[in-house]
Amino acid sequence: MFHAFFRSIFRVLPLLLVLPPVNSSSCAMGNKTTEIRVKYENILSHDVDELVNMSAEYRDRCCKNKKHENSKVFFCNDTQEIESLQSMACNMLRFFHKQKISKDFRWKAALVSCGTLQVLQCKCERHKKEKVCTQVNTHNKEGTETGEESKKKCNQEFCELKENISSLRSCWNKFEKIISR
Amino acid sequence: MTQTSTVLSIFVLFLHTTFGESGCTSADGDGTFGDDEPDNFEFDCFSQLEFKDSYSSLTCNFTELPPHHTNYSLALCTKEDSNYVCFNMEKQEDAYFLQFTDILSNKDICMVSEMKRRVCRSLVVTDIVKPEVPFNINITYQKEANEYLIHYSTPHAWKKYLKDKLIHQIAYRQEEGTWKTIESPYLQVKLLGKNLENDASYEVKVRSQPNGDYFKGMWSEWSTSKSFRTTRELHSTETYSSVVVVILSILGFMLSIVMIVLMVTFWENRIKPAVWPNLPDHKKTLEQLCKKPKNPSTAPEANLPEKFRNGSDLKMIPVMTDKSNLNPSVTYGGIWPAEALHRLLGTSQFAVTEGNCGSSTYEVCHSSGVPLCKDGFNLSSAPPQDPSGQPGPEPLNGDTASQMLPTSEMRSPNNEEAYVTMSSFYKIQ
Repeated sequence: MFHAFFRSIFRVLPLLLVLPPVNSSSCAMGNKTTEIRVKYENILSHDVDELVNMSAEYRDRCCKNKKHENSKVFFCNDTQEIESLQSMACNMLRFFHKQKISKDFRWKAALVSCGTLQVLQCKCERHKKEKVCTQVNTHNKEGTETGEESKKKCNQEFCELKENISSLRSCWNKFEKIISR
Repeated sequence: MTQTSTVLSIFVLFLHTTFGESGCTSADGDGTFGDDEPDNFEFDCFSQLEFKDSYSSLTCNFTELPPHHTNYSLALCTKEDSNYVCFNMEKQEDAYFLQFTDILSNKDICMVSEMKRRVCRSLVVTDIVKPEVPFNINITYQKEANEYLIHYSTPHAWKKYLKDKLIHQIAYRQEEGTWKTIESPYLQVKLLGKNLENDASYEVKVRSQPNGDYFKGMWSEWSTSKSFRTTRELHSTETYSSVVVVILSILGFMLSIVMIVLMVTFWENRIKPAVWPNLPDHKKTLEQLCKKPKNPSTAPEANLPEKFRNGSDLKMIPVMTDKSNLNPSVTYGGIWPAEALHRLLGTSQFAVTEGNCGSSTYEVCHSSGVPLCKDGFNLSSAPPQDPSGQPGPEPLNGDTASQMLPTSEMRSPNNEEAYVTMSSFYKIQ
């Protein structure tokens, strides 16, 4: 009896390693589009608009003709809007520690990223989401590095963040239209 | 047998350890010791969105103190991925307070005892929203409509989440009377003057609540009251004046209609002739003058127009028939030869070509006494050329009534003939 028990245990464990799909989505709200739409329309959309307005206040003349290394992140793929939004939000979290960008700006960008991941119930690779979002949610703005801040100066990271914000907003608009039908 | 029991006990211990206190089988399902402590405390919480900048706040207070009177603290916990992150609330007098930014995730409010035991309860921040207090109440009286416009403001009007998502309740009462309420989603309401007492003092206050579409919650605190006094019974005077105005306007309208009818009726007969008098028609006037009497007299003087009767223009010159004088000269006041007379009178522009004067002719006689035409002078003949080169006489037209030739037949039975002098002709013209 016990031999059968342990045999069954040991048979199941290898199956568990094989059966899970290779590329599984790390977002859990794929089927709950109504809940996503309601949360976005009532809360997250206002934060996204506020972030876009903040981004527009910064000069971006030097950002023209700049080529970004991670440009594929800015595409909102058809039928994969959730995955695209996840990718954009996780990418935006990288800028939370970029000291060359204004503290308020990157803090607001992180807030929107964490909100996007929260609405879609998504995770990021390398577990960077937990650290940043925890810090953002604890209203610990004083904890962000205040190194060399160049609020108005243009740099590569600043340009990439602006483009990331623009892509995120466009992808959310596209996704909202789809789930509102 | 002993080995079997040993293995069995180890296996049971293994199962207990494996599926035991690892956060999966606790009664609350959230890794707490909920089933160890009785959940016999009550507290109320409310949230305030955008309390300060992007931060929202959570305020909780105990409605029923724990029986043991031990020190407890409250914490707001969030399950993030595999972690359970909690933030302790700050104790402020009788309430616990916490600021945070994330209002999207589902949270738990946990009471943590001194022994680090935690009792949690789920909490949805957007379902316990308490709006901020309205302010700046203004009351304006609209005289024409006899209404009182009550306008107020709310801090959420310039914030993100609760803008246009609130219901406002306006309470008003007369002095020390019963409160009456009105609800509106807008920032102003109107009170009808007819529903209020005249010349009385009223008190107004406002509060807000989420409209329930997505955000739910409770009423905010009442705003500070604002008092106002209603007007006296002046509207009756205004009503009287308005009635007078209406009556006067009706009378004016009726009078204008009567005037229009009168103008249309008397336009042709009285108004138009007075305003635009008819100008004399020369043709008609001339025709009136040329009207033949019923019994025309043969006496030349009787048939002549009055102008000619006076004898100022015509001369009755008896012509002496002198056969030797065959070449009369054309002189003013003398005898006109036929050609000259025809030249003077020859155009067809005489107005008297029609019936009335058609039969009235002068008989112009030649110096030889032979009449030029038996029937009289034919006025319709073409004018001859004037050999002297002088401009011909002025064309004779209907306007010159004096062109009318005398109507009588001037034949003297004793060869006395009347001659029209040149001067009389020009006068006639």
